[in-house]
Amino acid sequence: MAASLARTALLPTYRCLSRINVSPARFMSFSRCLEARWFTKEHEWVNIEGQKGTVGISNYAQEKLGEIVYVEMPEVGATVESDDVVGCLESVKAASDVMSPCGGTVSEINEELKSDPSLINSSPLDKGWLYKLDLAEDVKTDELMDAEAYDEFCQNH
Amino acid sequence: MSSVANRVVSVVNLGRMGFMAAYDVQMRYVRNHLEEMAGKPHVHGENMLLLVEHTPVYTTGTRDKVYSADYEKMLKKTGAEFLRTNRGGLVTFHGPGQLVAYPILNLHHFKPSMKWYVCQLEETLIGTLRRFGITGRRTDQTGVWVDHRKIASIGLHGTRFVTSHGVALNTDVDLSWFSYIEACGLPGVEMTSLSKELDRNVPYQDAVKPFLRTFQEVFDCELEYKMLEEKELKSVSVPAPEHRGPELSAATPTPTDLKEVGLRHMSTLAGAQASFFLPFFKPLLSSSPSSLSKTELSVPKEKEPKKIDDVVPGKERAMW
Repeated sequence: MAASLARTALLPTYRCLSRINVSPARFMSFSRCLEARWFTKEHEWVNIEGQKGTVGISNYAQEKLGEIVYVEMPEVGATVESDDVVGCLESVKAASDVMSPCGGTVSEINEELKSDPSLINSSPLDKGWLYKLDLAEDVKTDELMDAEAYDEFCQNH
Repeated sequence: MSSVANRVVSVVNLGRMGFMAAYDVQMRYVRNHLEEMAGKPHVHGENMLLLVEHTPVYTTGTRDKVYSADYEKMLKKTGAEFLRTNRGGLVTFHGPGQLVAYPILNLHHFKPSMKWYVCQLEETLIGTLRRFGITGRRTDQTGVWVDHRKIASIGLHGTRFVTSHGVALNTDVDLSWFSYIEACGLPGVEMTSLSKELDRNVPYQDAVKPFLRTFQEVFDCELEYKMLEEKELKSVSVPAPEHRGPELSAATPTPTDLKEVGLRHMSTLAGAQASFFLPFFKPLLSSSPSSLSKTELSVPKEKEPKKIDDVVPGKERAMW
């Protein structure tokens, strides 16, 4: 339900995005046209707002992992690159790597997950965010999917 | 590629091998999967099932901060190694008389879900027990139980849905090794084995076929039996004599010796080769793993844990 609500909220942004993306001035106003929640093939998401991104895992991912019991996160201040292994989620005796959807410097981690890792299961797109980062200058979304494309990707998986 | 072709799993029996040497073999196969998925040319990711009997070792998972340096010291006094790994789950023991299986699977060929994968592994272990006439069950604690006694453990790692680490089924392991730990973080848990349940000796070898047959059924795949190929030997073999450091004795076998002895025996020698990884895994390994420093072709089957004189019962146990 949270996923569909999030999708509805983002719809007007997509329409703006599709016009802006074809503009040659794309890289001049990149922060505006990138503002949205983007998903990776590894089922992480990054919500871009200005120069900041918030990262988490999708509802599909938390379902497939099972109940999360432990979260290992990057250090605040660490520089990460797109596709780097930045952390680990432990669930039902399986520790799964988390890849960073984009590059940047980690500015904040979700301290609440230390005491309540199951927030990732109950609220993967909202309260279960993993970490925030200051985005790198050259962040691209070519490899990322918007919510609609991601839903399709999950269905065909 | 047809879906049937995707579901071929190659089985390699590593025999008796130290933990780090087997981990290195695992990682080679994991890397093949990851490189194939990343589009690297001429790389083929093969679904593998590695079977191994470890030399005595205590291992922890990602949640290892609860295990202090003192705890580590205490366990090493038993004569076993102590290693911190990246799998899920808490502290456990691996050693002779325990069937350890590491499926290195690309779950995209099966079902990309760690939860499903854990369930399938539990099913495989329960099915294996059934072939021995034992009723295994799941509880809310991952692993497989016979009544209230734990007979098999599961601890996994997944990266881009490529699995590593795996399961451990007690066949005729000396259960006193478990008395020094709260196995899997469960206070007062009683460990058991096939031998204990059936009241007769069930060696490691007797569990292999039932396990493989059940694995094939549960995962709906074809099993192909393979030997470790020569290129994989490099990860556990000895470098040429001129490159050897002074700390390595002349008694360490050369690659030629390994070839002469035959691949099947390389696993018992590989335990000695694990000392090679010391420089690379210094943060992980103890300073001198006593169980791995000797080259022994006839590794004693049962190794008695050394008595600990200065352990205060209870106080040294893991607190979590």
